[in-house]
Amino acid sequence: MDCCNNRVTVHNRRDMLKSLSAGFGYIAFASLAAQAAAASGPRSILAPQDTSNPLAPRSGHFSGKAKRVIFLCMDGGPSHVDTFDYKPKLQADTGKELSSGFRRGAKLLGSPWTFRKSGKSGLYISDLFSETAKHADEMCLLRGMHTTVPAHAQAQLQMHTGSFQFVRPSLGAWSLYGLGTVNENLPGFVTVNPSRSAQTYGSAFLPAYYQGSPMRMSGGGNRQAQGRRQRPSTQGDAVPNLTNTSYGVEGQREQLDLVQILNSEREKRLKGDDQVEGIIESYELAFRMQSEVPGLVDISGENQRTLEMYGIGSQPTDGFGRQCLLARRLAETGVRFVEVTVGGWDHHRNLKAELENKCQSIDQPIAALLTDLKQRGMLKDTLVLWGGEFGRTPYAQGNDGRDHNNKGFAMWAAGGGIKGGLSYGSTDDYGLEAVDGKMHIHDWHATILHLLGLDHERLTYNYAGRDFRLTDVHGIVAKDIVA
Amino acid sequence: MPRSSEAVHDLFVLSAAAVFALSAAAPASPQSEADRVAGLKLYEGKILPILERECFKCHSADGKVKGGLRLDSEADILGGGSSGPALIPGKPSESLIIRALHYKDPDIEMPPSKPLPASVVKDFEEWVRLGAPMPSAAGEMMGDAMVPMGMAPAVGEVVTVADAPNIRTDGYVDWGKARAHWSYKPVLLYPVPAADSKGWCWGEIDRFLLDDMTKAGLRPVADADKTSWLRRVTFDLTGLPPTIEEQDGFARDRTPAAFEKVVDRLLASDAFGERWGRHWLDVARYAESSGKETNIAYPFAWRYRDYVIDSFNADKPFDEFLSEQLAGDLLPAATPQERAENLIATGFLAIGSKGHNTRGRAQFTADVIDEQIDAMGQSMLGLTIACARCHDHKFDPIPQSDYYRVAGIFLSTKTLYGTSPSPGNNFPADLAALPRGTVPVGAPVGAAQLQIGERARQELENRITRLEEEAQKNGTQVDRGQIRNFRQAITALDEVTARYDENGAPNDANYVCMAVEEGAGRNAPVLQRGEVEKPGETVVRGFPQLFEGDWVPTIERGSGRLELAEWVTSHENPLTARVAVNRIWGHMFGKGIVPTPDNFGMSGLPPSHPELLDYLAARFVELEWSTKAMIREVALSHAYRLSSKTDAKGMREDPDADHYWRMPQRRLEGEAIRDAMLVASGTLMDAPPPGSQVQSFEGPVRDGGRADLLLDDSVPIRSIYLPILRDKVPEMLDVFDFCDPALPCGNRTETTVATQALYLMNDPSAVAVAADFASRLEKSGLKDNDKIDLAFRLALGREPTSTEKAASRKFFDAFASAEQRSGFANNPLRNRAWTAFCQSLFMTAEFRTLD
Repeated sequence: MDCCNNRVTVHNRRDMLKSLSAGFGYIAFASLAAQAAAASGPRSILAPQDTSNPLAPRSGHFSGKAKRVIFLCMDGGPSHVDTFDYKPKLQADTGKELSSGFRRGAKLLGSPWTFRKSGKSGLYISDLFSETAKHADEMCLLRGMHTTVPAHAQAQLQMHTGSFQFVRPSLGAWSLYGLGTVNENLPGFVTVNPSRSAQTYGSAFLPAYYQGSPMRMSGGGNRQAQGRRQRPSTQGDAVPNLTNTSYGVEGQREQLDLVQILNSEREKRLKGDDQVEGIIESYELAFRMQSEVPGLVDISGENQRTLEMYGIGSQPTDGFGRQCLLARRLAETGVRFVEVTVGGWDHHRNLKAELENKCQSIDQPIAALLTDLKQRGMLKDTLVLWGGEFGRTPYAQGNDGRDHNNKGFAMWAAGGGIKGGLSYGSTDDYGLEAVDGKMHIHDWHATILHLLGLDHERLTYNYAGRDFRLTDVHGIVAKDIVA
Repeated sequence: MPRSSEAVHDLFVLSAAAVFALSAAAPASPQSEADRVAGLKLYEGKILPILERECFKCHSADGKVKGGLRLDSEADILGGGSSGPALIPGKPSESLIIRALHYKDPDIEMPPSKPLPASVVKDFEEWVRLGAPMPSAAGEMMGDAMVPMGMAPAVGEVVTVADAPNIRTDGYVDWGKARAHWSYKPVLLYPVPAADSKGWCWGEIDRFLLDDMTKAGLRPVADADKTSWLRRVTFDLTGLPPTIEEQDGFARDRTPAAFEKVVDRLLASDAFGERWGRHWLDVARYAESSGKETNIAYPFAWRYRDYVIDSFNADKPFDEFLSEQLAGDLLPAATPQERAENLIATGFLAIGSKGHNTRGRAQFTADVIDEQIDAMGQSMLGLTIACARCHDHKFDPIPQSDYYRVAGIFLSTKTLYGTSPSPGNNFPADLAALPRGTVPVGAPVGAAQLQIGERARQELENRITRLEEEAQKNGTQVDRGQIRNFRQAITALDEVTARYDENGAPNDANYVCMAVEEGAGRNAPVLQRGEVEKPGETVVRGFPQLFEGDWVPTIERGSGRLELAEWVTSHENPLTARVAVNRIWGHMFGKGIVPTPDNFGMSGLPPSHPELLDYLAARFVELEWSTKAMIREVALSHAYRLSSKTDAKGMREDPDADHYWRMPQRRLEGEAIRDAMLVASGTLMDAPPPGSQVQSFEGPVRDGGRADLLLDDSVPIRSIYLPILRDKVPEMLDVFDFCDPALPCGNRTETTVATQALYLMNDPSAVAVAADFASRLEKSGLKDNDKIDLAFRLALGREPTSTEKAASRKFFDAFASAEQRSGFANNPLRNRAWTAFCQSLFMTAEFRTLD
């Protein structure tokens, strides 16, 4: 027998299976239809309502400008008074002692960096972010942030799940639960180099398919850059088990074909076993991911200008540049929620040198990401978020460091329906506590969901007899920052 | 312009009559189900509290019924008062109540004292727009608009429990109504329906089921073939596939007792405890580390795991099993062995997830207690008591004070979870000492590992010395924090080293376990909003007031755990036996009679077969809480014998087989899939491994650390013995829907996702097991053709069909030429084609599914 006639190509094989089983490929068909609809216009991305596929794209409670999120997560608590919260009085009073309050006697430490008016809007941004500042007119600085706990792990958990005590689904999982995803070849929630507990991208009581898939991208400098639950990978897989070292791809295809023949035999035998179809599909998605994900992670196809723009190939920007570029590529291919984590913000000492180094490694890549999204027409419906779990004290720890500060800090947002060139909220004269336009992490969550077209009070999931929400019983949408 | 509320009120009544003279007759517009659900939700969350606070005093059955208007039921609102209906569903602008709330018309202003905030008025408008739905009489709506746990609702649809009957009046529980909830009522002995004339019914279980089926107009399908039944019962009872000898033996045995013999053999095997123990470990949220932020290892949690397995194998009466876990330390013991067992049992209360780096002892303690209450409540009683930590339970009759009555019991208990101080652990504790020689000492470590520990210790010492020297040289302060961290790491290393002799064999230091012991008996204050800084009135230790009767014990002295155990395991407690048999049923049929096995409360789902559930609960007590005897009755029922094949009528009318006309198909758990792979390959170790690989840990479990090297899921031990660290569950189990061990979990989700496919396709462990399987076939010395048959029997418990056989035979040529083409033919993996073939059997839908 001629071996090559006997070979089944993917398409023929699909046809063959279809003929074996009339119901085959429903899920694939549904998501292909959704994809086709998505390609035909931005509004229809959320139109198809395929209730049989829990990951199928669907519309939110109302129409939101943001179709996807890129969250740049700064693990460790970046100093707000040195970056995005301009405090001239702190500069003026540097060296003075706080005269009242819990920290009476602590010495104020004015920022060693200069703040400049940026963009037409004239937002004050520190020289540490001189590149990012060029996008000031797209950015909304959230200067009245506060959170419940001044400890890293808890505050990180609260930033991701709303709760610092209980196991709750993460922001990305809730987003995916609310909106589904448009690329059937990739997971809908990807977290690049997560550095904290798996709870930060977990689905808790939400079904497991809403949880984030960790990907690894070198260069983050995280303490725990490896995703959880995985052995150290020698091949540097961005997703575990993407490559098979024992068989060639064509051999594996033959193997899958045998599996699928056995599966469709079973399906024929037991009419109405809907499990089989899902299993058949899961192998096809897995097979597609094997070829899609490496291409996605491989940035060699990007042109040199782009690579340089992100600072890829030069230091200290290479690592974060790659992660930002990956984020754009993921967003572009239809991933609903992308998170990129960079650690090393816990500047109790050596603030001057280390904060500067840190910012240098991310400023240019962030600016590039914003430029890139804008050039591709994606910024308008991509919500870019930047921030850490809390800020730092305006007074000094030692003489060149700052302690944790949960009472007031800054984050920023851009794109995806955000009013640009806006400073929202403020801390007191020194940056110690949020006093105006206060935004708790719960409010931040409510606002993010709102921008995605989801009502944080209606996005609920019933577990253990209760309707759970990301925002629990809290959360106020900051309507003032919504364009 | 203050005015007397009475005057306003009269105006309201009078003018309203005129306004509604015409519109009262207009029919209400039909509202969609989604609107109704959303409206109910709004009613529960926003409208009812306002009505209660502002309106019921004058407008309810218990109030004064001013103006003849009652606002406490749908009928009363629509019926209206002397001024006509209070509202027109769907038409806020025409509704009197909305006009009154707006306070724009001086003649109609409500409530009389002052206008309500605009947001509240908006809520009312929205509620009226949604049709102003209200829950009907108690119980009527149960299960109607609810979605079972674990099922994804369509988005936009609000899943609600607003339809739970309202058991509160003015914020106080109406105990009469509350206790009328089905699961709070005593277990009843319903008459067993008569057997059918054709002899389909083999016992009481079948009589209940057939009666229900017949009423639903359905008929049972035919029996499963012997092969399918054997595979089903073997997996269900032991988590393993039948061996070829077992397959042959059962096929040959044509006596009527053949089925009983199989069930008895399986119940008697050690694998039974490994299977059913794992089910309990799911609800006991068993894990070997703290999870949460710093994930501190619990090196002796495995003792509790082994206790659970042994208890199921010994068929320990289930009430005793529960008592030991709550109060084993307080129970009499005839022998040191029994004492050890009782102590280890209380590990149930100690293994929960904890935030070891919490700031403040009071917060930490409160969180531990909450976790214990939650685990106890959900696993043993199907009751979400922990929902009442910060406020009265939203659905069940559990006032916040009841939570703190139970909390006092655990406040009077010392939890011994071990661990040593480290940067991420502010709250180390002791372990309980076990009588020497009573229990196994656990797993040995390699001498190499001890040496690594010794080197690490030396390095830490060196660093301390260097820090001190540098400080001295530079005349600066030494970094005390850094030195403390190093010293703590050394202490942790020393603690581990002290558990082994120089050869790595565990020594007497391993006679310890996680447990609880009595603390000073004291009552807990009710914490306002659950905040530890806001202690309120102290409440006497006791139990939720849910149940009344002589059987409810009072706590005279001590923590009250003995009394708690008595309360939980009393056969008069209507929850415990029902919850237990429902779990057994769920594991045998894929879903419980109550589909929410951890929640029998008012927001849980009601039983599909309440009479059967009560029969089973009563029978369980009658069988002296023997799990094996109960399982035996279920396994030998006719219902359990049914085929999983479908028929058109059944699929049309009852596709989920809620009436048990067929056996539903079930996805095997990750453990069973992995164990079955090892069985097929012939590599599964017979004896359980001693202890756990976590036993040689102390301190935080870090990614990329030593944990990753030791936590190797390729060791061919049964999956239940793999290390279960929170947030670091072995990948195989994780991708196949292992529960998050932070929470009690009575039913696992069954997902089908690409990561499962990728694991089976590419994970080196999966390929390695397939290679072992291929070697086993090779060693059989059979011809290729027969090897294919053998492979099918080993993997799927049956021979291949002719199509399957043909496809399998073709595969080898196709694979070989594909490998040629892609230049993979020289890959060093031996037996590559056979490995790929064996692996493909693991990958099939059938391999992971129970028919």
